[in-house]
Amino acid sequence: MSSKLDEAIKAVLSDERDVRAPTEPYQKDFPYDRGDEAQVTRREFCNFLGLTSAALFVGAAGFAGKAVIDSRESPTFQPAQIAGADGMAPNTALSFHYPTAKDSAILIRTVDGSYHAYAQQCTHLSCPVYYAREHQRLECPCHEGAFDAATGNVLYGPPPRPLYVIELEVRGGQVWAKGRKPGNTT
Amino acid sequence: MSVSTNKLPSDAAAHKPRTLRGQSAVWQARLIMLVMINIAQLWILAATVDAALARRYSTLLPLVIASGICFLITLSIIRWWRPTSKRFTSTGYIRDNNRG
Repeated sequence: MSSKLDEAIKAVLSDERDVRAPTEPYQKDFPYDRGDEAQVTRREFCNFLGLTSAALFVGAAGFAGKAVIDSRESPTFQPAQIAGADGMAPNTALSFHYPTAKDSAILIRTVDGSYHAYAQQCTHLSCPVYYAREHQRLECPCHEGAFDAATGNVLYGPPPRPLYVIELEVRGGQVWAKGRKPGNTT
Repeated sequence: MSVSTNKLPSDAAAHKPRTLRGQSAVWQARLIMLVMINIAQLWILAATVDAALARRYSTLLPLVIASGICFLITLSIIRWWRPTSKRFTSTGYIRDNNRG
């Protein structure tokens, strides 16, 4: 058994030039040495590192530019009804989008029956936060940060700022989102 | 077999390996520096992504500038910092052998 395995390994590791021996006329006219083609010279490797450096610079500049452009866009906050909020039981949460379809948000009905809504992006690295019912707080699964469900303030972990607060209004049993503002840091 | 240079064959044999060793050392140094700069730029890119996601906009510009400086250093190493040869200087000019 082991001898067969050794033979198989030897066959695989054997020189491929035997396998690639020129059989067609054009292969004899244009000999191709695979081993030589695989060689990379120091000059080529240096140029490759230069291209990599350019790509990393362009990537950093592009990412920074996109972030700055996104930050300058100021969305308009139109009142919007949050569908399904009226039937929420206490100590539950509901995901929705506000002010645009790209901005995910989370609505929480706390144990005392009051409603609170926040942007769902963690202020550390923009991971989506979720409502942990057993602890009655918002938690970020990426780096174990936590936010207070009633205020959005940081309880512990790496997030540097509170969550963005979505202003709510209850009209006749329906919950409406009216606007968004940065969380209270005091 | 005749040697058509002014120097003795023993001199040429003594100098050639030394020159090659020097060129090889410069090439190795170039490669090491380029790899180190690439690693630094990778770290800068990761820090840029972190800052953008955390909305720390004040740190974005310094990071991009640092990455640009790294790229300029890389360009200068590739373009100008070369091993010297008998014909060309390290900056690409043709060497004047009659000087001095």
